[in-house]
Amino acid sequence: MTLYFGDILPYLPVMLKALWVSIYVTLISFAAGGVLGIFIYLAKASRFKALQLFSNGYIEVIRNTPLLVQLYLIYFGLGSIGINFNPLWSVLIGMTLNNSAYTAEIFRAGISAVPKGLREAGTALGMPFHQTFRYVILKPGIRNVLPALTNQFIVLFLFSSIGSVIALDELTSTLQNLNSQTLRTLEIFSVGALLYFLTSAAIAFGSRITERLAFRW
Amino acid sequence: MDFVQYLPPLLRGAGLTLVICVAAGVLGSLIGVVLGTAKASPSWIARAISSLYVNFIRGVPILIILLFTYFALPLMLPALTFSRGFTAVVGLSIYSGAYMAEIIRGGIQAVPKGQSEAAEALGMHYFVRLRYVIFPQAMKIAVPPGIGFLIALVKASSLVSVIGFVDLTRAGRIVTTLNQEPLTTFLIVGALYFVISYPISLLGTWYERKLA
Amino acid sequence: MIITVEGLHKSFGKLEVLKGIDCEVAEGEVLCVIGPSGSGKSTFLRCLNFLESFREGQVTISGHNLTGAKTNLNAVRRDVGMVFQSFNVFPHMKVIDNIMLAPMKVGKVSRVDAHARGMVLLEKVGLTSKADVYPSTLSGGQMQRVAIARALAMEPTVMLFDEPTSALDPETVGDVLDVMKKLAEEGMTMVVVTHEMGFAREVADRVLFMDAGVIVEEGTPAQIFESPQHVRTQTFLSKLL
Repeated sequence: MTLYFGDILPYLPVMLKALWVSIYVTLISFAAGGVLGIFIYLAKASRFKALQLFSNGYIEVIRNTPLLVQLYLIYFGLGSIGINFNPLWSVLIGMTLNNSAYTAEIFRAGISAVPKGLREAGTALGMPFHQTFRYVILKPGIRNVLPALTNQFIVLFLFSSIGSVIALDELTSTLQNLNSQTLRTLEIFSVGALLYFLTSAAIAFGSRITERLAFRW
Repeated sequence: MDFVQYLPPLLRGAGLTLVICVAAGVLGSLIGVVLGTAKASPSWIARAISSLYVNFIRGVPILIILLFTYFALPLMLPALTFSRGFTAVVGLSIYSGAYMAEIIRGGIQAVPKGQSEAAEALGMHYFVRLRYVIFPQAMKIAVPPGIGFLIALVKASSLVSVIGFVDLTRAGRIVTTLNQEPLTTFLIVGALYFVISYPISLLGTWYERKLA
Repeated sequence: MIITVEGLHKSFGKLEVLKGIDCEVAEGEVLCVIGPSGSGKSTFLRCLNFLESFREGQVTISGHNLTGAKTNLNAVRRDVGMVFQSFNVFPHMKVIDNIMLAPMKVGKVSRVDAHARGMVLLEKVGLTSKADVYPSTLSGGQMQRVAIARALAMEPTVMLFDEPTSALDPETVGDVLDVMKKLAEEGMTMVVVTHEMGFAREVADRVLFMDAGVIVEEGTPAQIFESPQHVRTQTFLSKLL
C-alpha cells in the first residue's frame, strides 16, 4: 500500500470550497445560537418560575440528545408534517438550537464566576442593577466565558460535519463523494482530517490572541 | 399508528448504543490514562507524542474519525476483519482516548505540586509516586469532567449509524422507512437517548455536590 | 444623630444573627465595632446600607429611613461609602477609572471633573503614581486604598469599613490605617468593623463590643480596653493579648 497524493491534488480547491461551507454554517449558527442563548440564560436567571422551568427543560433536553437526532427531527420529522426545510436550513436551525443550550450554560457559569463582592461594590456605590451589570459585571464575565465559547465554537465547527448525513455539501460529504470518485481513500480522508484540524487550531490560536489583546488587565 | 411493534427494534438499538458506549468508554479511559500521564510527564518525548495524538484527534470531527476507521483503516490493516460493530468501537475509542487523556492530564496537574515533592522527599520513585500519591487524588478530580464526557460520547455515538451499525439512531432510520412516521419515531429515539444520558448527568451533579 | 438603629433583627434562614441591636452614631464620630467572628458585627454593618436586607427594626442613616416604603436605596448608598474586606476593586478598570465610575454614572459628574476629583483623592491616599495602572499590579494595601478613594469619590457623609485590613499582609496594614486615621481627623463619620485593637484604641471615639448577635458592652476605648465590665468582653480581650 503506497500513498499517492498527486491524484487528489486537483480536488483541493473543491475541498477548500466545501470547508468554507462548513465554516460558514458554523459562523451563522454560532452567532444566532449565541443570541438565543443569551435569552435562554436570562430566562433561567429570571425570577419567574415558569421561565426558569422552560429554559431548564430546554437546556436539559438539548444537552442530553444527539445533534444528529435533532437534525433528523427537523429535516425528516417536520418535513413529514409539511414543514419543509432544505438541508442548509435544517442544519442551520439544528445547530443554532443546539448551540443556544450550550452557550446559555456557558453564560450562566461565566457570570456566576464573577466575584459577588464586585457586584456588592457596585451596589454600595449607589449604582442601580443595570449599571452595575453594564460597568462592573459584564467585562469580567466576558473574560470568564471566552475560553469556553471558543471551545464551543470549535465543537460546533466539528459537528457541522453532521450536515453530510442529510446531503449538505460541506467538507465531510465532499470528502465522501471524492472518496467514491477517486478511490484514494487514505489520501482523501487524511487531507480532509488535516483541513479540519488546521481550521480548529487556527480558531484556538485566534482566540488566544484576541484574549491577550482585549484583556490587558 | 401502533408503535408497540416498533418499540422492540428501537430498544434493541438503544441496548447496542449502550454496549458500544461502555466498550469505547472503557477502552478510551485506558488510552486516556496512558496518554494523559504521558502528557503530564517530565519526558518531553512522551509529552510530544501524546500531545500530537490528543490535539489532532480533538481537532477532527468524530464523523471523520469513524469514516476513516471504516474506509481507510481496513486498507492499512488488511490482516484484521472489521465488522461494523468493531469499527464503531475502534473509532469511538480513538475519539474518547483523546478527550479522556486531556481530562486525566488536568486531574494530574491539579494535584498540588507539594504532594509529588513530599513523596519524592520520602524517596519514592516516579511510578510509585504516580501510583500511590498522584493517581488517587487526580482521579477524584477527573470524575466530574469524565462523566461530562461520557454524555458527549453517548451523543457522538449516534454517528456510528452513518457507517451502518444498527445503533439507536440507525434503528430509528430503519423504523421510519417502515412506518413513514419520522416525527414520532425520532421523538421516541430522542427520548430514549435522554433516558440513557440524563441519569449520567444526574450522577455527575450528585458527585460534584458530594465533593463540595 | 447621623445613624439611628432601633431593634434591628436579622436572620439567615433559621439562624438569627442579629437579636435586637440599638445604637446611635453622632456626626463626626468614629465608632469601632469589635467582637469574635460570627458575632454578627459584619452583618450589622451591611444592614446600615441595606446590602443585607432585614425585616424587623428601624435604621435611619444620613437622613434616609431605610425601611420606608418609598426609600430610594441607591440614593442612600450615594451618601454612604463602603469599604470591603476583600477590596472589590474592579479588575478591568485602571485605578483612576475605578474612582471615576460612580461619580460619572451615578453622580452625573463630567469626565473632567471626575478625573480632577479622582486625582485629589489618589493624592490623599498616597497613590498618585498609580492612577493609570490596572489593579492586578497593586499590593493588597494599595488596592484597599484605591477602594477607599473610590468610596470617597461619591462625597459620602458616612463611611462604613468592613474589616478593611483583615485580608492584608502585615506590612501593608499600616498604610491603610494611616489613611483611615487621617479621614477620622478630618471629621468623617465612620463605622469600622475591625480586629485592629490598636487602631480602635487610638482613633475610635467609642467602641462597641458585639457577641452572639447582641451589643454586650459599649464605651470609650479607655473604658472597654482598660476596664471592661462584662465577662464576655474580658474573655475576648484577654485572648487577643
